[in-house]
Amino acid sequence: MHGLRLAFNYLRIGVLNEFQYRANFYIQILQTFIALATGLIGLNLVFSQTDQLGGWSKPELLAVMGVFITMGGVIRSAIQPNMERLMEEIREGKLDFALTKPADAQLLVSVREFRFWQTVDVITGMVVMGVALAQMNWLISGWSALGFFTAIAMGAVMIYCFWLMITTTAFWFVRVHEIANLFEGLYAAGRWPIDIYPNWLRIGLTFLVPVAFAVTVPAEALTGRLTFQTWIGAFVLTIVLFTIARTIWKIGLRSYSGASA
Amino acid sequence: MPSVISITKLAKHYQVPEREAGLKAAAMGLIKRRYKTVKAVDEISFEIQPGEVVGFLGPNGAGKTTTLKMLSGLLHPTSGSTSVLGFEPAKRSHDFLRQITLVMGNRNQLSWDLPALDSFDLQRAIYSIPMDEFKRTRDEFIELLELKELVQKPIRNLSLGERMKMEIVGALLHKPKILFLDEPTLGLDVTMQKRIRTFVAEYNKRYDATVLLTSHYMADVEALCKRVVVIHHGKLLFDGDLSALVEKFSAFKTVGFTINSASVDWSQYGEVISTDGARMVLRVPKEKTSAITTRLLNDLAVEDLTVEAAPIEDVIESVFAVKEEAVE
Repeated sequence: MHGLRLAFNYLRIGVLNEFQYRANFYIQILQTFIALATGLIGLNLVFSQTDQLGGWSKPELLAVMGVFITMGGVIRSAIQPNMERLMEEIREGKLDFALTKPADAQLLVSVREFRFWQTVDVITGMVVMGVALAQMNWLISGWSALGFFTAIAMGAVMIYCFWLMITTTAFWFVRVHEIANLFEGLYAAGRWPIDIYPNWLRIGLTFLVPVAFAVTVPAEALTGRLTFQTWIGAFVLTIVLFTIARTIWKIGLRSYSGASA
Repeated sequence: MPSVISITKLAKHYQVPEREAGLKAAAMGLIKRRYKTVKAVDEISFEIQPGEVVGFLGPNGAGKTTTLKMLSGLLHPTSGSTSVLGFEPAKRSHDFLRQITLVMGNRNQLSWDLPALDSFDLQRAIYSIPMDEFKRTRDEFIELLELKELVQKPIRNLSLGERMKMEIVGALLHKPKILFLDEPTLGLDVTMQKRIRTFVAEYNKRYDATVLLTSHYMADVEALCKRVVVIHHGKLLFDGDLSALVEKFSAFKTVGFTINSASVDWSQYGEVISTDGARMVLRVPKEKTSAITTRLLNDLAVEDLTVEAAPIEDVIESVFAVKEEAVE
């Protein structure tokens, strides 16, 4: 309860902060527009040659793109900014303030930042999903809808865990700044459903960087492809990743405070 | 009364990688690292009673900040024990953290782009302060520090001193019982230092809070602390009244007098600190003070002779000049 209130308060501060920089809003709209346009052009190019890609039709791939944009917005508004701040604070030894607060330290470092304007992407992605669903004549069952919402939530948690694990290594290897670029590169692969990739890459995008669960699985739900096994798999993996991430965080914190020394 | 802060043989050692300068040494360091153990804090012990304001002194690198970090639960001690309000700080229990605060003069926690009022709201959420109590405390502090006109301006538009005042308000909104203040007046002008000092004294009085303060400005220490703890090279050098510190460590006294004849070889009496017309000030070794004043009065026609203890800055300087081997 305290945690929720805390997250809400930081969210509020984040929104207030962003309102100070109105220019960012316009820049964000421009960026989103360009990304959307290039995405659509790419999609049209592909479908001018074929009418199927790895078993996905054009409206189905549009749904994948929608999920990709929305999830990207979630990552860039809520996950990445927090992790980058954490990284910086570890490097500069400024984490002290967060650690002297009577709140769970992991929770605190995960909710402090919120880039409100990035939610433009979240909404744009939803619109794209809506268009895709309309092209599929809204053939989506209640179960699929439920599967979609739970899958997208689990996907976001998995991406968060991945970021937290990488960021936590900053406790030992002070410079891990390049991972933001690395992550963006890998996340870009999520633009397409992962079944189209060769096996080795598919495994990597599923288990090393959980892009498959963040984008493809929710899109599978939207297009009626999601099996119960996949959903259970996502559920188990979410719990496993969260447990591992929290454990690594705790170990990192111990090393930061010199408990192991 | 039982003490609120109690530390016994507290030590913190760091393993620091060590290498020669240059590329070759750097490359070798990739393969095999040599580590050196640095004893940042080396078995210090002291106790602080409720309501005390204690000055924690030492030169840069003496181990002050490390000690404060151990007391506020940020660092685990290598050995020894700490107890603050009956808690073991390193466990970072929320009940403990709710009752302390750590202010660092060189760092800020308030949101840079927002007015302080918004950041204060955040503190309220973090510490779960009831709304009416929060408002009362906030307005009380704002008034004490005369910040009314400034709380609605973004922090980035404030001066260094104004920002520090805001930081202090933010750090005290939950009315902590223990204050760890690490250089709270760093870089501030004299008026601003004074204002912050007065505020700390007032807070201490109103809420019977215990304060452990480090500062390089002796005026802060003189104004606030009856008792000082001095550490140097990680070891405890002195713990007692400020006046006793002066007594123990000042090797000199200053002797001032008025004289009309100027052609005197002063080096046989002491070191000349200043001459202002007929007024002379000499620095003389403490143990020779009475002998020298007697000679001055006998040999020369001096008037208005005064003997004063060395200024506190000089005392601290001689304390800090103590070599590592000489510490215990």
